[in-house]
Amino acid sequence: MTAKTTASGVPYDAQGDMADKDRRDAAMKGFVREFGAVAAAHLEACVRCGMCAEACHFYVATGEPAYTPINKLQPFEQAYHRHAGPFAPIYRLFGVVPSVTLEKLEEWERLIFDACTLCGRCTLACPMGIDIAELIKKARHGMFKAGLIPDRLQLMDRTARAWGSPATPADDFADIVREVGEEHGVDIKVDRERADYLVTVAPAELTEHTKALADAAKIFNKAGLDWTYHSEGFEASNIGYLNGDTELQEKMTRKIIDCAVKIGAHTLVLPECGHAYGAARWEAARWYNDKLPVRVIHMTEFLQEVVASGKIKVKPVGQTASFHDPCQLVRRGGVMNAPRDVMAALGLEMRELENNRALTWCCGGGGGVVSNTRADPIRYKAFELKKREVEAAGADRFVTACGQCRITLDLGAKHTKWDRKIENLLELVADNLAD
Amino acid sequence: MTLLEFARGPALQVAMIIFVLGATWRFFGALLLPWRLAPAEPRKGALSPIAAAFKGVVVKMWPHKPFQKAGMFTFVNGYILHFGLAIVVFLFAPHILFIKGLTGLSWPALPNNLVYTVGVVTMASLVAGLVHRLRSPVLRLISRFDDYLSWLLTLLPVLTGLLAAAHLGARYETLLAVHILSICTFLIWFPFGKLMHAFMFVFSRAMTGVRMGQRGAEL
Amino acid sequence: MPQAPKLAPTLGELLQERGVSRRAFLKYASYLSAVMALPAGSASALAEGLANARRQSVIWLSFQECTGCTESLTRSFSPTLESLIFDLISLDYHHTLQAASGEAAEKAREAAMAENKGKYVVVVDGAVPTKDGGLYSTIAGVSNLDMLKATAKDAMAVIAVGTCAAFGGIPKARPNPTGAAAIDEIITDKPIINIPGCPPIPEAMAGVVSYLVSFVKLPELDHLRRPKAFFGETIHDRCYRRPFYERGLFAEGFDDAGARQGWCLYKVGCKGPVTYNACATLKWNGGVSFPIQSGHGCLGCSEPDFWDQGGFYRPLSTNLRDMGPALAGAALAGAALGAGAAWASRRHQESYQREQNPNEGDKK
Repeated sequence: MTAKTTASGVPYDAQGDMADKDRRDAAMKGFVREFGAVAAAHLEACVRCGMCAEACHFYVATGEPAYTPINKLQPFEQAYHRHAGPFAPIYRLFGVVPSVTLEKLEEWERLIFDACTLCGRCTLACPMGIDIAELIKKARHGMFKAGLIPDRLQLMDRTARAWGSPATPADDFADIVREVGEEHGVDIKVDRERADYLVTVAPAELTEHTKALADAAKIFNKAGLDWTYHSEGFEASNIGYLNGDTELQEKMTRKIIDCAVKIGAHTLVLPECGHAYGAARWEAARWYNDKLPVRVIHMTEFLQEVVASGKIKVKPVGQTASFHDPCQLVRRGGVMNAPRDVMAALGLEMRELENNRALTWCCGGGGGVVSNTRADPIRYKAFELKKREVEAAGADRFVTACGQCRITLDLGAKHTKWDRKIENLLELVADNLAD
Repeated sequence: MTLLEFARGPALQVAMIIFVLGATWRFFGALLLPWRLAPAEPRKGALSPIAAAFKGVVVKMWPHKPFQKAGMFTFVNGYILHFGLAIVVFLFAPHILFIKGLTGLSWPALPNNLVYTVGVVTMASLVAGLVHRLRSPVLRLISRFDDYLSWLLTLLPVLTGLLAAAHLGARYETLLAVHILSICTFLIWFPFGKLMHAFMFVFSRAMTGVRMGQRGAEL
Repeated sequence: MPQAPKLAPTLGELLQERGVSRRAFLKYASYLSAVMALPAGSASALAEGLANARRQSVIWLSFQECTGCTESLTRSFSPTLESLIFDLISLDYHHTLQAASGEAAEKAREAAMAENKGKYVVVVDGAVPTKDGGLYSTIAGVSNLDMLKATAKDAMAVIAVGTCAAFGGIPKARPNPTGAAAIDEIITDKPIINIPGCPPIPEAMAGVVSYLVSFVKLPELDHLRRPKAFFGETIHDRCYRRPFYERGLFAEGFDDAGARQGWCLYKVGCKGPVTYNACATLKWNGGVSFPIQSGHGCLGCSEPDFWDQGGFYRPLSTNLRDMGPALAGAALAGAALGAGAAWASRRHQESYQREQNPNEGDKK
């Protein structure tokens, strides 16, 4: 794992000792596997209108044309036309569409991983309805097969494969949560053999924001629910989903869902994490004959449920607040009203950001970008967009419901010496539970 | 054989055959690939797949508010171009006769002078589109040969049609022949370039509609 | 004063003999020069030239034709000046009009050719069969092809009257069993004027002959050798129904309300837009009417191959060939090729799937 640059000076990482041809072929085969009718219809419909550029925080923040979302798909699209599209045999025979070169793939690694958070704002902007974010996610599958992903993401991949979590070995999980319980004086349930609710966690909650583990426990206990954390299925973040490592994605998905089934849970509660929702709520069914054996909900949906049903009561906070809509939860996930319902119950008066709900600006760190230090400069630029909107809204509090968003925003704030506290909805509810 | 006979006869025949063959080939070649619309339990109260597909097609007709400012030219000019082309192609009496001769279907036409005016507006919109494409760094980067060729082959029938209507530049039968030949080149290129979006956009929009619709997300 | 050799009388003298006043003659010359759009002052020059012209020797050859062109000229609505002019030129040979027959007729032709070598004008109506040595039409045992070549050899100019002579016309229509050809496909070394039409407008024939006789040169011709004066504009451009075309008001049949309203006949196959002729301005039968005025679309009879343009009632903007079966075949073939391409792609995908993720349980 060494940092390299292409002939044109673009930095890229490469993993493994594949020969150039093998690496390229691996990417092509990985791409080709993704070309179903949906990808085909998308790729056949583009008219190069450029509308997607203005939707992308990286393009808007930098003005760099290469960050135009559809441009990030170029090698993927080229592979489609040469290897899978309707005219592929003819294009190959007459060389109408040339092979994608390894150099091109190396150059595009930066665009496919560093400059895309899979936030899907471009999808909303595309007049042809091309789901660009989904296609970039598919393109990552081929890039992963070719060992062409940022080293930092590869590192997390290996860790997650080894430990079952990028944050901590599964063996340590029970100890960590017990310690957190003691620290916060909360009765934490872990590794119970049977429970109605299996509650899962995100990496940040095992490292920087451990209080969240206690907060969730507090609320579950207060609501009087039969729940547990579990060492066999605790990690809901899915680095495979972000890296294009489908094998790992399946493994991570199966771990939590099989564990929920094993302990007889009727509901799997995902932590405050965006892509965990995309992976477990919307993509998991492909490994379970199209129907999951357990109900999967996000922590935010859970909070809405228990607040609405009266299982917990909250004290009014009585301040104004803005909400940062996490892309994978809101725009790509469809959870639009739940966080606002909970905030309304907390008596927070909403000061919506200019771009809110489905049209929110991404925090800039999704899709693994926050973990990929190579992308720091553009991530900080993209952060400015969010910062401006938050300042313009002028609310007392700034809340979100995704650990990755929170870390990204914290980093951005620190980098720009911005004196704002970013809060998580879970914490806000836990801190304001009424007796 | 005069040029007009060649245009109306073998040229048009060959062009139409290539158009139909190529377009169906590309259409089925793309849509008979495996259908993998992500399986998942739909959100409670989510639209049915058919409703979501329909919504996807309709919603994309106008940009969301944040994209309106930057995309206004693209959208408005796009609409002028597409409506202009639709009017010129489908509501000009001689064109309707052509379609009637081919399919047996016909409908009332617009007055020719109105169609000529629309033709001029359509041309202007095409030229504006090209200027926009050449001036925008983003569009320059993502544009390819296909974009410029498709532009040219769309422009030529409009231009030659207007010249024929105005009897400008050559004798009418020559202009008419050139007009028909320009349509032939358009038809021949259609299945191979981005003009194909005319058929594919419905599926692209509908599929995103279904994917996001089952999630209860916006389109 | 020695007696001058007896010259043939001039056209002017002959007309006077027939009781045509100089005033009427000048009027005709002005009319002709106006019709032919000659420059100002040409009227008197034309009158002068015509009046002083000696009888012009004309040999009229009729080949594969129907005599309609001659009929058009001679059976005009009333005895017109142009018919008189044709009477008065020295029509040394004309099947239909000459009194002589048989060998005497052929002798007359040969005599005229010998007497006026290099000065006579050959008028041809009808196409010339060229297949199998031209045996499909013979006169006095001589094929049309040979007779044309022989007669044209010493001619000053050749006037191809009617579409058959000018462009091959109906004899040349598919499948053209006789190998019929236009005059200018056979005679390539003489000035040729085409006056197409089925039949041509009498004024056009008379006007061209008058011009040729008085100025002794060819009028300005278009790329199909047609005098621009008569064939410079399309029927459509001069049609009194044109405003209905622009407004999109069309007759859909020959007995519908639109037809009764006198709307444009484009949809019922009028070829006016691509037909160059003077019908819409000069009209027929002494300016009474022309086909479109009578409710029928223009057939395009003064254009090459007008018989083979897909049908008189087929609108101009339609394709010429029946494409239904071909397009259905193309659609089926396209679908099959598309399905084949998709099938090949699916097979690749499956093999790559097995190769890259042998254990993955991805459900398709």
